[in-house]
Amino acid sequence: MATSPTDLTRRRALTQLVAGAVGVAATPVWVQSLCAQARAEADTQAVTAAAGASSWAPSVLTPRQDEAVIALTELIIPATETPGAKAALVNRFVDHVLSVADAKERSEFIRGLTWLDDRCRARVGKDVAGATAAELTSVLTPVATEGASGEDAPGVAFFHAIKSMTITGYYTSEIGLRQELGDDGRMMLGAFEGCTHPEHQ
Amino acid sequence: MQVITQPKVYPVIIIGSGASGGMAAWNLTRQGIEVVLLDAGDKFDRAKYWTHVTPWESQARLARGEKPETFFLDTKEQPYLTPNDRPFELTRVWGHGGKTNVWGRVSLRYSDIDFKAADRDGWEIPWPISYKDIAPYYDQVEQLIGVNGGTDDSDVLPGSKYLQPPPAPRCGERLLQRAMGKLNIPVVAGRRANMTRPTRGFPACHYCGNCGNGCDTASFFCSADHLLPFALQTGKLELRSNAVVARILTDENGRASGVQYFDRRTGSEQQVRGKVVVVGASCVDSTRILLNSKSSTHPNGLGNGSDVIGRYLCEQIRLNARGYLPALEGTATRNDRGIGGEHIYMPRFNHRPGRGRDYLRGFGAQFWNTWSNWNGPQEGSDQIPGFGASLKKQIKRRHPAWFEIHPFGEALPYAHNRITVDPKRVDRYGVPLLHIDYHLGENERKMTEHMADTLEEIVKAAGGVLVNYKRGDLDAMGSAIHEHGTCRMGTDPKRSALTAFNQMHEVKNVFVVDGSAFPNATEKNPTLTILSLSWRATDYLAQEMKRGNLSN
Repeated sequence: MATSPTDLTRRRALTQLVAGAVGVAATPVWVQSLCAQARAEADTQAVTAAAGASSWAPSVLTPRQDEAVIALTELIIPATETPGAKAALVNRFVDHVLSVADAKERSEFIRGLTWLDDRCRARVGKDVAGATAAELTSVLTPVATEGASGEDAPGVAFFHAIKSMTITGYYTSEIGLRQELGDDGRMMLGAFEGCTHPEHQ
Repeated sequence: MQVITQPKVYPVIIIGSGASGGMAAWNLTRQGIEVVLLDAGDKFDRAKYWTHVTPWESQARLARGEKPETFFLDTKEQPYLTPNDRPFELTRVWGHGGKTNVWGRVSLRYSDIDFKAADRDGWEIPWPISYKDIAPYYDQVEQLIGVNGGTDDSDVLPGSKYLQPPPAPRCGERLLQRAMGKLNIPVVAGRRANMTRPTRGFPACHYCGNCGNGCDTASFFCSADHLLPFALQTGKLELRSNAVVARILTDENGRASGVQYFDRRTGSEQQVRGKVVVVGASCVDSTRILLNSKSSTHPNGLGNGSDVIGRYLCEQIRLNARGYLPALEGTATRNDRGIGGEHIYMPRFNHRPGRGRDYLRGFGAQFWNTWSNWNGPQEGSDQIPGFGASLKKQIKRRHPAWFEIHPFGEALPYAHNRITVDPKRVDRYGVPLLHIDYHLGENERKMTEHMADTLEEIVKAAGGVLVNYKRGDLDAMGSAIHEHGTCRMGTDPKRSALTAFNQMHEVKNVFVVDGSAFPNATEKNPTLTILSLSWRATDYLAQEMKRGNLSN
């Protein structure tokens, strides 16, 4: 009987994968795996909290790719009344997740980013980092549609990956949790009231 | 002149300091019995826990290079094997208190529906005890560890007058509760070992919901906080850390005479001698130790002439369904962390008239309304279409509306679901590795269908929407972390390894007091029952010692 030792480190990230938690059946395994990895890394995003922000440099992305990721994450979760993904340094989170992901997932992600640059050039004559928000929105809108067909189809999986990673990174940051969602940050309550709405009783 | 001294012979050696071993040490030392307790790890430092710490503060600390206490044993240090096509996720905590440092705290009394299940349906063997045998111990354990819960009392979940006030349900739990009422599906307050009142000098729970990081105020039961310090105070306990037990040693009559272990820091081999050995290393590791304790009198592992040790591994099936309740979309963000996890519980109901299906045993479910989990609300958010300001707005609206349903079901004991040791693959100490071979059968498949029907029906009645839900999918094998059955108790020595007092049929001075002793898994979380059984077994052990029945 073939037997093998179980790798605990990796398996924690993939538990949700086995559980089928990333639901859309057509989503490729590399996307599911990368998104699960992002969720597993969410509470270790020391990179985004690091003081001395100016000294940070990406470890996986090139500087131009990092600029593209900043533009894309900010487009997915933009600044509104509260700061967006750029202010929450979600690009650093994405770079960190890529740095701990499997090589295959990392290269799929970079391939998707490169594809989007090409697509952007074909559509608006600039790469992702060089395009305006309005231009990027016009390029991404068809790609963001599950089941997109034709020339936009190759970008669907990549967009799913970066969207999910952006959401995970943003909503586990102080900006996302506290400023946007309004978490009170209180970790010591004297009593727990639970639901007090008469209409829910 | 060289003085030769005989090595000390301890009255009792206990292996493991979690729920089962910690309880054994506490109960024996308070009765004046001298104990040496071996734990494979060290003391976890409560001062280093990141309990009452927000995620953003955790991130800042990590950025400064600080690290929280880590509890889980790395498979690189201690590997285990599975067949390639049948993965099993084993979670181990080596260190004082074991898994009680980070346990789920759900504390449900078993009933005669559980203890006598095999008498009713004929599948494998019943427990050699009834509810009335264990009920006084449940009473004592609940008072000792501080369990909160409601006033409910049923054939499935016996009531108790020792429960502390339960936390109020969250909004989503109210809505789910109301829907279950409409469907005539039972729902009660959850029962958890979070102290909602100050207990035995420990402060009450602060509702940070961060129990998985360990509790820095010791407001939920952990053996290292609530049992071991009191055992040490008696002066009767010697606690040896980093003692990785390999084998129980036997004398020429086949009786246990001591324990062989390896020092986790130096790798050096050590032995300790004793008159009685109590095994509480958690189901899987206890089984490994017993199977590795081979001798001429015990060629199949210690006390395993019946060949039942290692077999009948039963680990519950479970899944985690998520969704949102549109009625709560757009409501204000609340601090709903509570006691972490569910505040309401659905006891098993499939034995009720008209509720049965074509399978044996049953399932229960925990329900909660999101905010207990910092990461939970975002997991389904990537399914909201589009991007930009509208996506951001939608995520915020849905944030207070997320819920989770977490059913646990009994997996039947099967002889082929088995833990063995592989003499050809050894750990860093040269001790044969564990091999876990576990898969489910048709009964579990049918039960999973019923779980799915039930949760879908409840969600529909509550007006909820499931997200990322794939009907029939279960969590990975092993993820309930409720392993049982591999050293089961019973009346027939040919079909069981232990008596009704957790004493080995074949080796009278060995007691096995953890979850491996359970003949079946039930659908309930086991720790309350492990604590109660260990207390009961060591009461018996103390009496037997005093009667002189256990001296060599």
